[in-house]
Amino acid sequence: MTRMPLRSWLEERLPVADVIATLRHKRVPHHRYSAWYYFGGVTLFLFGVQVGTGALLLLYYRPAATEAYESVQFIVTRVPFGWLVRSIHAWSANLMVASAFAHLFSVLFLHAYRRPRELTWMSGVVLLFLTLAFGFTGYLLPWNDVSFFATRVGTDIAATLPLIGNGIVRFLRGGNDVSGATLTRLFGFHVAILPSIATALVGLHLFLVQRHGMSVPPSVERRAAGDPAAVRSMPFLPHFLLRDLFAWTAVLAVLAALSTAYPTELGTKADPFAPAPAGIRPEWYFLWAFEVLKHVPASVGGVNGEFVAVVAIGAGAAGALMLPFVAGHTVRARRVVVWAGLAALVFMCVMTGLALTSAVP
Amino acid sequence: MRGLNYAAAVMFVCLASGAQAQTAGGAADAFRNDVHAAAGLTCAACHRSGSPGTYEAPPRTAIAPLCATCHGDAAYMRKFDPQVRVDQYLQYQTSAHGRRMATGDDRTATCTDCHRAHGVTRVADARSPVAPLNVTATCSRCHGDAARMAASGHDASPPADWAASVHAAALLKRGDTSAPTCIGCHGSHGATPPGVTAVANICAQCHQREAELFRASPKKDIFEAIGQAECLVCHSNHRIESPADAWIGVQEGAVCSQCHDASSDSGKAILGIREALDRLSTAVSDADARLNRAERSGMPVDEGWLMLQESRQHQVQSRALIHGFAVAPLAKTATEGRTAARRAHDVGDAAMEELQVRRRGLAVATLLVLAFLVTLWTKIRRLPSITENPPA
Repeated sequence: MTRMPLRSWLEERLPVADVIATLRHKRVPHHRYSAWYYFGGVTLFLFGVQVGTGALLLLYYRPAATEAYESVQFIVTRVPFGWLVRSIHAWSANLMVASAFAHLFSVLFLHAYRRPRELTWMSGVVLLFLTLAFGFTGYLLPWNDVSFFATRVGTDIAATLPLIGNGIVRFLRGGNDVSGATLTRLFGFHVAILPSIATALVGLHLFLVQRHGMSVPPSVERRAAGDPAAVRSMPFLPHFLLRDLFAWTAVLAVLAALSTAYPTELGTKADPFAPAPAGIRPEWYFLWAFEVLKHVPASVGGVNGEFVAVVAIGAGAAGALMLPFVAGHTVRARRVVVWAGLAALVFMCVMTGLALTSAVP
Repeated sequence: MRGLNYAAAVMFVCLASGAQAQTAGGAADAFRNDVHAAAGLTCAACHRSGSPGTYEAPPRTAIAPLCATCHGDAAYMRKFDPQVRVDQYLQYQTSAHGRRMATGDDRTATCTDCHRAHGVTRVADARSPVAPLNVTATCSRCHGDAARMAASGHDASPPADWAASVHAAALLKRGDTSAPTCIGCHGSHGATPPGVTAVANICAQCHQREAELFRASPKKDIFEAIGQAECLVCHSNHRIESPADAWIGVQEGAVCSQCHDASSDSGKAILGIREALDRLSTAVSDADARLNRAERSGMPVDEGWLMLQESRQHQVQSRALIHGFAVAPLAKTATEGRTAARRAHDVGDAAMEELQVRRRGLAVATLLVLAFLVTLWTKIRRLPSITENPPA
């Protein structure tokens, strides 16, 4: 038997060199807006952090109303570096939502949803919704009083939908009210169902990005039409990947600083029979919707105001999902998309600001 | 039948006077919600009919015996409530009110003054004038009336004094309905001021531990010998304020200084007790501040809070042990409390040290990350320049 170098042995069975060659061959456009491309990679990196820290937390977390709080307490007080893992998990969730929103709006403003990237956009929007669902389902898991009552308020919103509303609430809660059954159910969503769907969609999203390449904004495209040399590009490997790695490392440093300087608090254990404490509010990324529901009148044209608000928010989400098909292809249509996106962004920021200032006890 | 009762009640003419005066309509309205109406009684059960459609109010001196015809009859009352007491009239006869009424002086309280004449409700009913939250106001209608009390040679300050007491705070601010009101110490139907020798027994109904310690102490015999009303000497009677460690001592203002001075052996013992209490208070405060600081810094210190709670329990026990007037047991408990407080403080210290370790770890990690970023950036800058080829 002849001795074969390990690298050749591995290459014969796992052709990594072909992949590396492909990545060296692959090129990424480089222009004044290309910094925005990195938010996709940062979001993916934070998703990886979430999976890693979530898996570590699973070693000790117990998803039952009688044990959840105590198990998290054990993690942050007794498990070596448990406080850090939990804090990184919580902070990276927040940064991931922020990064996903930044990615979505940058893609929107750069019109990267256009043909043939409609499915890339749609899979990305669904991934953002899944990220929010991760946040919602994970919020209750420490079983503290704020998360308990916020989940009660959050799930109540679905009840405004006629016919199916109460059914959805019961499905989410596993009963008529938030209880241990809700905790177990949301835990199942958080660690099994949502990760499965998200992983599949991330795979599809990445495949589509590789298949269609990075989009070039229309303004850059127009310049390239007159002067092809005006648009530069760089190899994916090593140029783009090293820049991605730089961004990931910087995010990791921010994450470590936030997690150490501002470790996530555990609060007090949920007591379903206690009155709701003051200052109940959802995570920051749901605050804008929470504020909208607060300001909407009880009745709009004879229809339940909350129902109208929920339908409007749902219509906005559906519009975002179907954007590539509802947005026109003309310059004027693209301007409409930009203004609509800006209006949505400003509206969400203002509503979040109002919620933050009005919620101060 | 019930309709006829109300019709009869509407025709009622009240012949009573003063606070009991009530119009026929008012009496009828009040009687609708009366526990007696609910039991099926009518106006005629208590009132004689002077002429058709009119009723006379019984004389005030006759009210208590009239009520007792039912409320003193165990066989009759059992039909409505098998556990109801039937000794109210017997109690009333022993009370200051009852004794005065028995002399024919009707300017004293009888059943209807506290329970109302019409619209009588159960004591457990929050609307009852003798419900825990209302009974002091009911008593103070007479006992807080300076003119009325002066006429009988009494002081009208007790209701106001009680309102400033720790007992009133427990009832009115914390909603603790077990807190004593007037009737808690004086009794209700047998209301009368407790005598000097009985005061300690009254307080002991709730403050059992303190009473046990006091009875076993040498002070018990001394107070009896000099005719002092035990608990009242230090705590007063109606205006019972929240006790403070500052009460212990021989300095001016301290309750002990009423009888003791610093030069005596007892004065030295008092100073020893005060020192033990002060040291424990300081240890508890220090540990509390340390744990709060650690918690504000984001460090979980639940174990420390449990230890501090244990320390506070020792503090409560130490303060109770003052009633034993012995230094050694108090000093022992206070020392145990200080030990628990020290352990709580240590938890806070450990948390703050851990915080420093985390910060140093973060600093080192940040330096490493920065070094990696610089290396990475250098590597990026050294890469071949970006070509000008447009994407395929």
